[in-house]
Amino acid sequence: MSVKELTISWFGGAASTFDLIILRTEFNTSVFYVRTQHFGRHEWKWTSAEPLECTSLSVRIRSRDGLATSEWSKINTFRGRDLPSINTLQMYPQDRVVEVGSNMTFCCIVEEGKTFKEMLYGNTIMNVTRLSRRSYATTLVNVEPTGVSGSNIVCRLKDLSLTGAVMFVGYPPLPSDFVCETQDLKSAECHWKEARDSHLTGERRRTRYSVNSRNCNVDSQLTCRLPLWDGNWTLMAENSLGHYSLSDSAELIHRVRPVAPVNLSSIANAWNATVIWQWTYESYFTLDLNCQVESTNHESKTLHVFSGVGLRSVKLSGLHPDQAYTVRVRCGDQKYFWKWGDWSQTFSFKTQTDVPDPPDVWMWMNKDRTGLVVWKQPLVLSKPVFTNNGFFLFWQQNATNTCNYLVEWLDTSCEHDCPVKWIRVAAGSTNVSIESGMPGMQAFTKGLFCPSDSPQLIKRWQGYTQELVPSRSVPLSVKSQDSKVVITWGEIPLSDRRGFVLGYNVYISNGSELALLANLSSSEMRRYVVKGLSVGNYKFTVKSYTSAGEDTGSTASITLEPFTDALILEMLGALGTITILLIIVTFICYKKRNWVKKAFYPDIPEPKLPGDWSRLQGPLDVRPSPHSMVHIVEKPERDFNKETLVVIPEEEEYFEKDEPVDTDEPMSLRYYNQVVDDRPIRPRFPGSSASSASSLDSGHTDVTYTGIQTSGSSLVFQPDPQGSSEEQPPEVVRYDGGYKPQMHPKVLSDDVVLKSSNPFQESEAASSVGYKPQCSWHLDSPTDTAETGSLAPSLGSPTSVASTQFLLPDGDGDEKNKQQPSSAAATWFSNLLLSSKP
Amino acid sequence: MADRRTRSMKSSNLSRTAVNRASMIALQLQGESSKLLELYRQKESFPADVTDGRLVSVPPPSSQLDTRDKLWRLHSALLQTQSLLERAITKEEEELGGGIKGEYENQRKTVKGRLSFLLLTTGNLLKAVDGAASLTPSLEGLELDGPTTLFQLKLWLLQVFSEVHHWSRAAVTTLQELLTNAADKQSSTTRVRSTRSARR
Repeated sequence: MSVKELTISWFGGAASTFDLIILRTEFNTSVFYVRTQHFGRHEWKWTSAEPLECTSLSVRIRSRDGLATSEWSKINTFRGRDLPSINTLQMYPQDRVVEVGSNMTFCCIVEEGKTFKEMLYGNTIMNVTRLSRRSYATTLVNVEPTGVSGSNIVCRLKDLSLTGAVMFVGYPPLPSDFVCETQDLKSAECHWKEARDSHLTGERRRTRYSVNSRNCNVDSQLTCRLPLWDGNWTLMAENSLGHYSLSDSAELIHRVRPVAPVNLSSIANAWNATVIWQWTYESYFTLDLNCQVESTNHESKTLHVFSGVGLRSVKLSGLHPDQAYTVRVRCGDQKYFWKWGDWSQTFSFKTQTDVPDPPDVWMWMNKDRTGLVVWKQPLVLSKPVFTNNGFFLFWQQNATNTCNYLVEWLDTSCEHDCPVKWIRVAAGSTNVSIESGMPGMQAFTKGLFCPSDSPQLIKRWQGYTQELVPSRSVPLSVKSQDSKVVITWGEIPLSDRRGFVLGYNVYISNGSELALLANLSSSEMRRYVVKGLSVGNYKFTVKSYTSAGEDTGSTASITLEPFTDALILEMLGALGTITILLIIVTFICYKKRNWVKKAFYPDIPEPKLPGDWSRLQGPLDVRPSPHSMVHIVEKPERDFNKETLVVIPEEEEYFEKDEPVDTDEPMSLRYYNQVVDDRPIRPRFPGSSASSASSLDSGHTDVTYTGIQTSGSSLVFQPDPQGSSEEQPPEVVRYDGGYKPQMHPKVLSDDVVLKSSNPFQESEAASSVGYKPQCSWHLDSPTDTAETGSLAPSLGSPTSVASTQFLLPDGDGDEKNKQQPSSAAATWFSNLLLSSKP
Repeated sequence: MADRRTRSMKSSNLSRTAVNRASMIALQLQGESSKLLELYRQKESFPADVTDGRLVSVPPPSSQLDTRDKLWRLHSALLQTQSLLERAITKEEEELGGGIKGEYENQRKTVKGRLSFLLLTTGNLLKAVDGAASLTPSLEGLELDGPTTLFQLKLWLLQVFSEVHHWSRAAVTTLQELLTNAADKQSSTTRVRSTRSARR
């Protein structure tokens, strides 16, 4: 480190005035001379222009008393670096940092035997002063700021060897704009600027900063972070040329600069979008914020401003459908606004597509028969005040309008080619009165903006000098919807309203009178639903009303039909219930099948037959039981007054007997026991066939039976066409086969009886010699058909023969079809029983 | 002799293309280091005739050196130069740097990168002639004990940049020589084969 200050002290005895002289030793040239007065300690500080290393200096002192002086003291030499013993090329001072505008002297000490050539400052050859034999000096006056690596002062010798020194010329620090703020609402972040470049580079020379004695690691940004909010801060800036301090103080809530919102997202609709973001710090949730959302669409930027506590989402309106938008957000404290926070990262979204509502169109006809069609969002229709002077219209002043207003009006009753009246109003006006002889009128106020040729609609009025009832009724329609009646109607055209429609009355026609159903006190409500009406014809009337009263009304009628759907539902429900009941009955029957079997289908006792009958195979001839004996009256016409049917008294007795009846019976029945068809059928009555045959020949004229157990085909009544007499042998009954079940679809009629002898019948009868279930029930005679009809079922008992089948009554021919389902059901039921038989 | 013979055999493994490629890189470095020197002189206002001493220490060049030795000498010098350059850049930034990235700083970065590339290339050449030869630069004598003042540091930087430029030129020269020798050897071999073929 070069030094330039020389401190000289001496002992001067009693003298107080001294002469002090400083000489360059080698050349003995005076550098400094001073006369000074000293008391007590004698000391003098002298600052050399050149570094003291440049050359040796000699100091001599003498005392003075007026004009009398003492001898010069011995030479006291301060040795420089140009001593012969130091034979190197040197330059002083080195690495000096000086303030701009200073004067600076450098010296170069050349080696012994070498020849000095020049000293350069940059590319400038400097004036040089020779201080000693080997030392040369040059002085830089009013130095300018140096560059990044400082300025070089080069000393060159004749042999091209060189040395030099680096000098930095700059400024002391001068910080400004020192402020501290917070982003996390807890710590402090202090910022400042440098008013000027110090021009001092390098680690050793650069300005160092500290805030509240905390060293700040400053790189490119002059920022210092403190972990806590101190409230008062002092910035100290210091470099080689000096130091500077600044202070700041503030409350935390006054210095909030929000961080940038993060994680932006959006919920985009067609005309608006909700932009959502998040905050890095939870402490922001309670912060009253003011946020700017900048949306960019096709390079057009729009700034939206929102506010709220802990704002994290905003709804952007005024967007357009199917458009791409880029947004970014920044916020500031709303209550104590300090600075806007950092902008967030940009976020892009696209609005959804939309089908726009039909625009509100307004047409303006110019004088030159050109039309101007204007459409915009609907303006609210205002009602002007009507006085004796006419309609009083007023509107809000538009600051941007510098031209006149135009008010025009026309008759509301006019539909086409309407005469329009107008008046021009000065730009600053906000009201006007217009006279109108029209009972109703519409008025429009338009601002004529100077830069624009087309007028802009500002306000619309509709008023009436005197309100009347509408001249036309509403278009009405009525329709049924489920069990309700929906009445809808349209608007009355403006030209026919003749007043402000206040609402609608809905009536139902009750004979010749109208009964009020509803009073709708809004002109916007044009729908009414009537509930609880039964089937029938109804008429509805809707009347609009103004302050002057109701119009004549529109009437529409409707006929309510039965609700077929409900009927179908009821039927389906009934069918479902029946099905469920059947399933339940079937289930119960199945579970109680043993009981059912006992109750309705008891086991048939097997006859015990003596002897060996096993070899007999074939149809079993069964002689009818006594109670089955039929006595047919051969000549009914003879005893019409007599009872034709006589109950044989033996019946009861016989019925109680288990033993079979003997063979002397007039007819025999053949049957196969279908239930036990696996087993060989053993005839109950051996030789009954013959007896049967003989019995067929036995005649009886009186019919007496207690039951029928014959099928129609097997029991044929053949009337005597000639009128039989008692003497005639009875040939009334002919059994052409055996017993046949009542399932046979035979209808007893005269024709059928006559045809019964045909081959088919005979063969069928011959083949059908087995037993069949008695599902059919045939009348005994055609004459009984008409009478008996429904009585037929009461005839006879099913116990005449052993059978595994029920004896189900059959109706007459007309009811045969109706019986078939029940027969089928019976067959199904019998099958069920059979299948359950062990 | 065996060693010598082995070396000679290996020297034939040198790819003319690789040598040529290394030569081109050296040529690029020569131009780039020349520009760096010029920029530095302008920046520091150093006279063009400022004497510069040598910092890199390698055996003196000799016509007796074979290909491998020439390559080894060149590679060793470049290694030392690279070490010097890296230290110079670090020291300059530390003592004189202002954080500015101007033309000089960019050129300095370019030269540093090119020098590393050339070193890689010459290292591969050396491996080609001497197997898995691996040179560790000797930084002896390269310690920066001299520059105690900023001016001395600046002079030292000048020397380092001059060394880079010097050894880039030397690399061009050496590699060109290798190319010439290879061409001569190939032509002589062709002649011998032609003669033998003619005798047959």
